[in-house]
Amino acid sequence: MKLVIDENRCKGCNLCTKVCPYKIFREGKKLNRKGVAVPELDRPERCTNCRLRNLYGRQLCGVCQLTCPDQAIHWVEEEPYEPHKVAIEY
Amino acid sequence: MTRTEFWQGNTACAEGALAAGCNFFGGYPITPSTEVAEHMAAKLPKKGGVFIQMEDEIASMASIIGASWTGARAMTATSGPGFSLMMENIGFAIMTETPCVVVNVQRGGPSTGQPTMSAQGDMMQVRFGSHGDIAIIALSPATVQEMFELTAKAFNLADKYRVPVFLMADETVGHMREKILVPDSVEKTGRKPFVPGNPPFRVTDPDLIPGFPAFGTGQHVHVTGLTHDERGYPAATNPPLHMALVKRLVDKIENARDEIADYDIVNPDAEQVFVAYGGPVRTVMQVMHDKKDKNVGFLRIRTVWPFPEKALLEFKNARRFLVPEMNLGQISREIERHVTVPVVPIPKLGGELHTPAELVKVLEEKA
Amino acid sequence: MSYDEWFRQDRLPHIFCAGCGNGTIINCTLAAVDQMGWKKEETVFVSGIGCSSRAPGYILTDSLHTTHGRALAFATGVKMAKPAFNVVVFTGDGDLAAIGGNHFIHACRRNIDMTVVCMNNQIYGMTGGQGSPTTPLKCLSSTTPYGCAEPPFDLCELATAAGANYVARWTSYHVKELEKAVKVGLETPGFSFIEVLVQCPTAFGRRNKFRQVADHVEFLKSHSLLKAKRDRLIDQGQPVPEDMFVVGELTKRNRPAMGVKP
Repeated sequence: MKLVIDENRCKGCNLCTKVCPYKIFREGKKLNRKGVAVPELDRPERCTNCRLRNLYGRQLCGVCQLTCPDQAIHWVEEEPYEPHKVAIEY
Repeated sequence: MTRTEFWQGNTACAEGALAAGCNFFGGYPITPSTEVAEHMAAKLPKKGGVFIQMEDEIASMASIIGASWTGARAMTATSGPGFSLMMENIGFAIMTETPCVVVNVQRGGPSTGQPTMSAQGDMMQVRFGSHGDIAIIALSPATVQEMFELTAKAFNLADKYRVPVFLMADETVGHMREKILVPDSVEKTGRKPFVPGNPPFRVTDPDLIPGFPAFGTGQHVHVTGLTHDERGYPAATNPPLHMALVKRLVDKIENARDEIADYDIVNPDAEQVFVAYGGPVRTVMQVMHDKKDKNVGFLRIRTVWPFPEKALLEFKNARRFLVPEMNLGQISREIERHVTVPVVPIPKLGGELHTPAELVKVLEEKA
Repeated sequence: MSYDEWFRQDRLPHIFCAGCGNGTIINCTLAAVDQMGWKKEETVFVSGIGCSSRAPGYILTDSLHTTHGRALAFATGVKMAKPAFNVVVFTGDGDLAAIGGNHFIHACRRNIDMTVVCMNNQIYGMTGGQGSPTTPLKCLSSTTPYGCAEPPFDLCELATAAGANYVARWTSYHVKELEKAVKVGLETPGFSFIEVLVQCPTAFGRRNKFRQVADHVEFLKSHSLLKAKRDRLIDQGQPVPEDMFVVGELTKRNRPAMGVKP
């Protein structure tokens, strides 16, 4: 699965950036049409829920989604053959 | 079928509520209305209802509004000082169109005043006490029989018009004991049913009353005291919407003046007319009985608000209206607005009813 | 997220400021409510006035947005008239402890079966940042421009003393613990009170040197003292730091409750 931030709802508070245990976010640099600097996914491959939700069949971690005051974070199934960065962890 | 009983006014009021199907009472004791609460505390649980003594009058009013939204017929009883406390939540009930019944057994005011003596000092407060532009229904019983009947009627009016209805009794009628004919059952009319699929506060009928979407029926209604749109969502910064909402809340009652009006007329061709409600009715009835003068008329009002001004116009030959009240002329001011002939207020403070001699004295002094 | 269905989607995004902790608390509460398996028709949310109390307007159930401070009295009426309903109350620190103080004490004393989530941002947010009974000493607000001179309330101690069955305190940083605490509160019969310290970046943060939302959340995190640790410090005879607030499940008992579902 992949993590998506809903740009209609995000107000750019960056709490997700602060609370993520795996530090997958970083602060956004560009302002979108609403004038909000939406956080960017710096290292999405480290998100536990993205990687393992389908394996375990239930929500994992999810601290960013619970913390987001604007209900802007969702996970969606990714398209087949979507390219992503892979990092090997020890 | 009726049975004869000898009851106190407050007892009759509580029994009238029980007969009308009241199943929630949230109250706070205050002289002279405490007997209503005590009677309800004893009788309601036996009928499967809920009695709860709240921590103050503000909480009492709040609890009956909450209970009313679950579909219960809810009431409370208080007197002057408690009535002043309830004003904010009364405004909330009006704004959210919550049916409920509030009994005010009036006592000497202002402030702590005369807890055990009678007065009618809250008649303007019931109409205008809460802030903003509002409209309510207020009934005034003059006998123990009317305490029973008007309380039962209050529930039907509250349900029909979705507004708090006030029973403005006074300590005289509340604490006196009198013969009463108790009917086996009273007529019960309910709330307008809600048609699912519509926004909760949309009004389509000309009577300006929306259907009642009780909690728990799956309508997911958001009830708020803020100015709201027809979905119930806050829309407080919308001027035309606010104007339309407040006008509808007021017109809902004011347009139905004639249906709500309840009064008796004696000697419509009279030249001098007594207008009375509540305790002073009894004195006027004594004067009418003693004098038997065709030239003395009597307008006995049971619904004080919305004020039944058409009743005044039925006295075509009236040259003076005499208004005995246990206040400094609150309703006589309202009467003055509607007639061109002199209106003579006969105020009496202190807690005692007018004596027939006092009324005859005013009758016989020609202006 | 399965608790997403509890939101009124047509009303989102909501009016709360960027970074407001209230949104987080609503998420945690709804996640707990969702886990309880309650039906929307049987759940009623009640609130008073304030930023916290705007929450039920965004939730897809029957809700009652009442007058300032009286949420608990309205909720008592709803619950006593129909004990089958599940009643959850959202209030704020001013709504609960200032004007609503009397109703708070009596609701705890009666131990009515409902759950109260108090979003304590230590200020009156909606009206522009006035001091509240929980504003800490020396903090700035628009009515305490020289620093607050009144000692603040400890809402959890008050609830415990008045008789609530379950009292817990967390912050908007501790989302997972808060969700569990709300769930325990929903399950516990009797009055459950969960106080949550939240950040108010616009009113409190701006005046009290928290330039970024993240700074305030960091402050809440670093000044939280777990109850177990505090008890350990007391046992060992060490002083408990004054400026830390105790978080965790502070009271759980089984006093007789009113209005419990039959």
